[in-house]
Amino acid sequence: MVRVKSRYLLCEVNVSDRSSLLLLDDRAVAATVKSVVARTHGDYGAAMCTIGFSVKYLNAHTGIVLLRFPKRCYRLLWSALPFITSIETRGQKIPCFLNCLHVGGTIRTCQKFLIRYNTQQLHRMLPRCKNEEEKQQIRKAILSCSLTIGKREAFEDEAESEEDEDE
Amino acid sequence: MKPAEKEEESVYKRVVLKNASPYQYMKICLVLEDESTRLSAVELKLFIISGLRNLYGEVGAALNFDLLKYDEDTLTAFLRVTSRGLVKLWSSLTLLGSYQNQACAFRVLQVSSFLLSLTGNSRDLQLD
Repeated sequence: MVRVKSRYLLCEVNVSDRSSLLLLDDRAVAATVKSVVARTHGDYGAAMCTIGFSVKYLNAHTGIVLLRFPKRCYRLLWSALPFITSIETRGQKIPCFLNCLHVGGTIRTCQKFLIRYNTQQLHRMLPRCKNEEEKQQIRKAILSCSLTIGKREAFEDEAESEEDEDE
Repeated sequence: MKPAEKEEESVYKRVVLKNASPYQYMKICLVLEDESTRLSAVELKLFIISGLRNLYGEVGAALNFDLLKYDEDTLTAFLRVTSRGLVKLWSSLTLLGSYQNQACAFRVLQVSSFLLSLTGNSRDLQLD
């Protein structure tokens, strides 16, 4: 048996207004990527994008998207991503751009990277807390969200609880 | 490769390219359904670019190629394209099927990495 190989691109959606992130859904992202690829690479690119392309994971809270591309043409499709300037969802146009954080061969490596990345981000942001109380609040918030929010948020929570242990 | 100055001894010059040749030359012929249609050189190039844009998008439309020579009567043209773009150009020429709502086709007559090779075609040599 031979495995169908693909590449997973872990991207970050950058928006000016963070509340608009919650409007995103995976179908809108997929449609945007497809239309941009069709514009920059024509029929050839659009055909490449039909088989083996999917949006595997979308975290609307943090704006993390995991895109799956076939391995043989992921570079071509990747080159179209910088041309995304807005995502249209529910009749609204959200101006944004995609920032690629990691390219992985499996979802697992992407997840590992995302955990490490989020830990780093937390480390970077924690010193900005003004006092001990704020730190405690954040710690409590992290713990509580890992309890309440379901499986889909597992990525983030794992990262944050790990960070909590480090402290 | 200049024409030989002395006619007696025809000079052959051997050209060896150490790397892959930078350009490829194509001799193409446009066949239109309605043979009375005239096309200027600019229109032909625009037509080819529109074909590239359809198949390969904006990236394809930015491909560098030149229309070196064009004969309006026979609709035959010489194209020069960078070697990397040959496949893209060729495939988009093949898939161009209609010009102004009439069926058309590009016949690729000769392809070579030397322009001089396009002066004669070994396929229509008259051998005695």
